[in-house]
Amino acid sequence: MILKKENVQNLLDELSKSALVFVPKEVDGVLKFAPFKSADEMTLDIINTTLPPKDLLFPQTQKMYRYGIDADGKMYVDPSDDSAEQVVFGIRTCDMQSIVCMDDVFLTKGFVDEFYQAKRDKLLTVAIGCNKVAETCFCDSMGLDPQNSPTADIQLLEGDDAYSVVAQTEKGEKALESWKPFLSEGSVEVPKIECALKVDMTGVKDKLDRMFDHPIWEELSAKCLACGTCTYVCPTCHCFDISQENKMKDGVRFRCWDSCMFSEYTQMAGDHNPRPTKKERLRNRFMHKLCFFEDRYGKTLCVGCGRCVEKCPVSVDITCLIDQIGEFDV
Amino acid sequence: MSAIEDKIRIRTKELLESGEVAEFIGWGKGRFENQTSPLFIKDPSRVDELVYNDYCVNTLGKYAYQMKGDGKIALCVRGCDARAINRMLSDKALNREDVYLLGIPCEGMRDRKTNEVLKKCQECRHHNPVVYDELLGEEVEFPLPENRFVEVEAIEQMSTQERADYFDTVFSKCIRCYACRDVCPCCTCNQCFVDQREADWQGKQSNIPENRFFGLTRAFHVGDRCIECGECERVCPMGLPLMSLNRKLIKDMNTLFGEFEAGMGDEGPDVLRTYKLDDVEEFM
Ligand code: SF4
Ligand code: SF4
Ligand code: SF4
Ligand code: SF4
Repeated sequence: MILKKENVQNLLDELSKSALVFVPKEVDGVLKFAPFKSADEMTLDIINTTLPPKDLLFPQTQKMYRYGIDADGKMYVDPSDDSAEQVVFGIRTCDMQSIVCMDDVFLTKGFVDEFYQAKRDKLLTVAIGCNKVAETCFCDSMGLDPQNSPTADIQLLEGDDAYSVVAQTEKGEKALESWKPFLSEGSVEVPKIECALKVDMTGVKDKLDRMFDHPIWEELSAKCLACGTCTYVCPTCHCFDISQENKMKDGVRFRCWDSCMFSEYTQMAGDHNPRPTKKERLRNRFMHKLCFFEDRYGKTLCVGCGRCVEKCPVSVDITCLIDQIGEFDV
Repeated sequence: MSAIEDKIRIRTKELLESGEVAEFIGWGKGRFENQTSPLFIKDPSRVDELVYNDYCVNTLGKYAYQMKGDGKIALCVRGCDARAINRMLSDKALNREDVYLLGIPCEGMRDRKTNEVLKKCQECRHHNPVVYDELLGEEVEFPLPENRFVEVEAIEQMSTQERADYFDTVFSKCIRCYACRDVCPCCTCNQCFVDQREADWQGKQSNIPENRFFGLTRAFHVGDRCIECGECERVCPMGLPLMSLNRKLIKDMNTLFGEFEAGMGDEGPDVLRTYKLDDVEEFM
């Protein structure tokens, strides 16, 4: 089946009747996934958004419950659930894989994060294959295919004036029922592409296993500012902190993104900090991406989206690190 | 340009070999065309990795602070880097004998993708280093940029409601990565107010009120010390117009206390830490 580009507006209008539809677009100068209004303002042709779509499942700030003392002097606790049916339309391979990683963290190994799960169960993922790549894209070196997101509910591939449409999950198949009026028979020509930036991941994890005390961390972290940019633009970074705010007799407990690059992240009671300098913090970030996550979940936590490469203010570059590791004899 | 690059390499080699300095901070190549990145060198055999070209966008001054105590370090200073050094000297964050400064007159740096001169360089008022131990080139002459308060004046012209809406939009974009703070040569507090969890000044939620609180407090904390290097605005991944906040304070201080530019010398006191009997006190 194909979806003619001229029908996209109508399709998304239809989907918007029963769900919040998120599309890539520019909002006040920032490219991100934001609620759909009209097809004209979508930026489906941009290569990737500046902010990843992770906040659809894992908001930067998420209220967990309210609590306090009510008028009768009794304590109350109100769990909060702001999950709603959502569609993400136009997600790319890298970001789709980041959802796979977050699913691992939030839903497996005997731990189920109910806030994440509530949102995840209500999310329909519609991927669009990339016909262009940015200079910083390297997903195909991370074992992905820019034109194929096997875990997306629906996969679109872009031709000249239409997208091919394939449901890949039961949820996707069910969703396609309501797409029918906008689809037609046909096929599309898709140009084959590959990433311009290549890295070789062979042996990288094994070497990192032996590189905890390697001088590279000191060297690489010298220029790092220890800001949160790389972790906050990363689609797979998923660390959070839980905190609360109280006003008179009412309070709210919430969680919010945290960054392993911040000094406070590992600060313990009694003032001990096991990662006292940016050397340990930067090492942790890269180890988590390229080594520790693999130990636990059998895949790397870097999906090759290139956002950190693009946005780091001092050009700390994970792809350069991977190259360097390749050259080390450890 | 490459003449300066050659001189940087030669002098770095000499300084490291003679043991006069323990480490050198300059720029090296990045992965992509016209990309550079700060480069730290201890080994004199590596000086050929140093580059100097139109794309050395990072201001290096603040690194001198982070490396304090590691022995004397040498670094390249253009107008902005040099004023950053002065900033830290007058804040007593650095001692003059901690650093050896290779001055470079600067013609402005360019964005590697658009090839346009960076906004911070278009707005720069001091292309020549204002402090150095040796100068690696001829001083350059640059006309002062036109009115640097254009953005501030545009905001001042807004109605109260327009201004509130404008700042809501601005702060709705902040992701609180704190890159603006981490890059700033004024931000040398042992512990930033943001990280003082027990005092709990800065709430952790990311929303407009908390983001605004951070953004305004940051601007006030650098207040009379901001050297207008423009690094905070350059590094902000969300493109917040941070210089308009810094310059609003500078403009008001100029009006209230007379023209003053931070970072031009290594002695305080700066405007807001000077008390004079005839200071304006119209709000008291
Ligand atoms: S690697 Fe870059 S983006 Fe990440 S903390 Fe360091 S300076 Fe910030
Ligand atoms: S580490 Fe960098 S390239 Fe890898 S997924 Fe995160 S932001 Fe993308
Ligand atoms: S750099 Fe920009 S996004 Fe990051 S905290 Fe500062 S103003 Fe916010
Ligand atoms: S506030 Fe911004 S412009 Fe001012 S000194 Fe700090 S980084 Fe430079």
